[in-house]
Amino acid sequence: MSQVSSNNPELVPRSSRDPLIKISATRSAIIPQLTEAWDHRELLYFLVWRDLKVRYRQTLLGVAWVILQPVLMTLVFTIFFNQLGHFPSEGVPYPLFAYAGLLPWTFFANSISTGSSSLLSNSYIITKVYFPRVLIPTAIVGVRLVDFLIASAVLIGLMLFYRVGITRHMLILPVLVAESTLLAVAIASWLSVLNTKYRDIGTLLPVLIQVWMFASPIIYPSSMVPTRWRSLYSLNPLVGIIENFRAAFFGLPFEWRAMAISAGVTLVLLVYVIHIFNRLQEGLVDRL
Amino acid sequence: MLPIIQVNNISKQYRVSGSPSVAPTLREALMAKLKSSFNATGNHANDSGLFWAVKDISFEVNPGEVVGIVGRNGAGKSTLLKIISRIIKPTFGEVNIYGRVGSLLEIGTGFHPDLSGRENVFLNGAIIGMRREEMRRKFDDIVAFAEVERFLDTPVKYYSSGMYMRLAFAVAAHFEPEVLILDEVLAVGDVAFQKKCLEKMKHVSRQGHTIFFVSHDLLSVRQFCTRALLIESGQLLDDGPVAAVTDRYLELMSQK
Repeated sequence: MSQVSSNNPELVPRSSRDPLIKISATRSAIIPQLTEAWDHRELLYFLVWRDLKVRYRQTLLGVAWVILQPVLMTLVFTIFFNQLGHFPSEGVPYPLFAYAGLLPWTFFANSISTGSSSLLSNSYIITKVYFPRVLIPTAIVGVRLVDFLIASAVLIGLMLFYRVGITRHMLILPVLVAESTLLAVAIASWLSVLNTKYRDIGTLLPVLIQVWMFASPIIYPSSMVPTRWRSLYSLNPLVGIIENFRAAFFGLPFEWRAMAISAGVTLVLLVYVIHIFNRLQEGLVDRL
Repeated sequence: MLPIIQVNNISKQYRVSGSPSVAPTLREALMAKLKSSFNATGNHANDSGLFWAVKDISFEVNPGEVVGIVGRNGAGKSTLLKIISRIIKPTFGEVNIYGRVGSLLEIGTGFHPDLSGRENVFLNGAIIGMRREEMRRKFDDIVAFAEVERFLDTPVKYYSSGMYMRLAFAVAAHFEPEVLILDEVLAVGDVAFQKKCLEKMKHVSRQGHTIFFVSHDLLSVRQFCTRALLIESGQLLDDGPVAAVTDRYLELMSQK
């Protein structure tokens, strides 16, 4: 508080008379909003930190839940699809195969299901303070990303147990994680803003997530899908992500075609969501 | 002097409930679409279902001014502040702001009951727009101001309401954007703490920060502000020195 106005850099009159903030009835341009979101990355960090902290404080098992969810699912899938259903698993032990598919899937599914209600559940903040709204669903994805990384440690443990060696293929993992994060941010943001307009999203989503899971190579390898359907199947961006995620861990050949389609679809979705979010966020607070 | 804020003819229109709902379900939206395609003439919401929360307000504020906004409940004061804070968009008009804006429409926005006092200071600070570096620098001052040193690592859900308010206000009081927007937030704590808050705000304004202040407490408006705006039914009725405008407001109130 010892500052006086003359040496407070924030109070030096600006030479240019371009307003720092321009509010008008017309729709805001997209690029300045993306820049603004980037400027608020510290807040993003705090929002992620808040959710992690609260979760680990409120739940008894805390971090264990993050691992238990995919582990229990793997157990169930192994019993039903491997022991009873005799699903193939690309020569990898089935539990390992299933867990490696469930990891990115759990990240994605949890991101979009919690993300979809995030603007509604944080309405007590967004009706009182302005900041780029996209940070709210993005922070949810951030929290799930941390879970994802923790649960990945278990996969390494499982690989040691099954004596599956680590290969150079793992070098592609950062690319896959980045792509799935972008995809999760896009879908979570889209659903969250749509949910403020049509509350039906909350009811519809669990069904959609179920369908999406069976349409992704989680319990089965994508080689089970007939060749003539393969291109259509790969339009699901998770196909490229999950197949190559497995390839990276188990040293299997990469599916470049699926990878390229997946990246393309993610990019298109991202651009679309940036536009639709910008449009729908306008009356956001009026709708809450 | 060049103004720090220019408000040009802003208006905000709302639909009154009973007319098409604000958050329709998918079915309602589809039905509305169907209906409007069947009778091309009948889809206009009639004018009676609309109302202007803020209508055609314009003014300019110079750096360092402390502007009180007075008016009855529902006059449009909060809507006006929410537009300037960028929380809602105006229906018409524009606002130019030549500096950083911080709005405190309530104190302790985003406080989480399960987090400690220390954690909430950082979280709340980040939400209202403070930089982490700024918070680190001011942290000790904030804690001293709130008088909660002993309970810093206790979750705020165990705080008494007085402690909670003091901590929340302390963060707000140490936030120093070029334009500060305050909505009734001074109405916390006992008389002594309110006085302390007012002193702190005066100090902030003396440093050249511009402040908007909405309160029903005319005494503190008079004490604290240099200028006042009187809002009535969404319109700017008066704009001038604080004494004259608050007198006019009292006069208006006694008429009704």
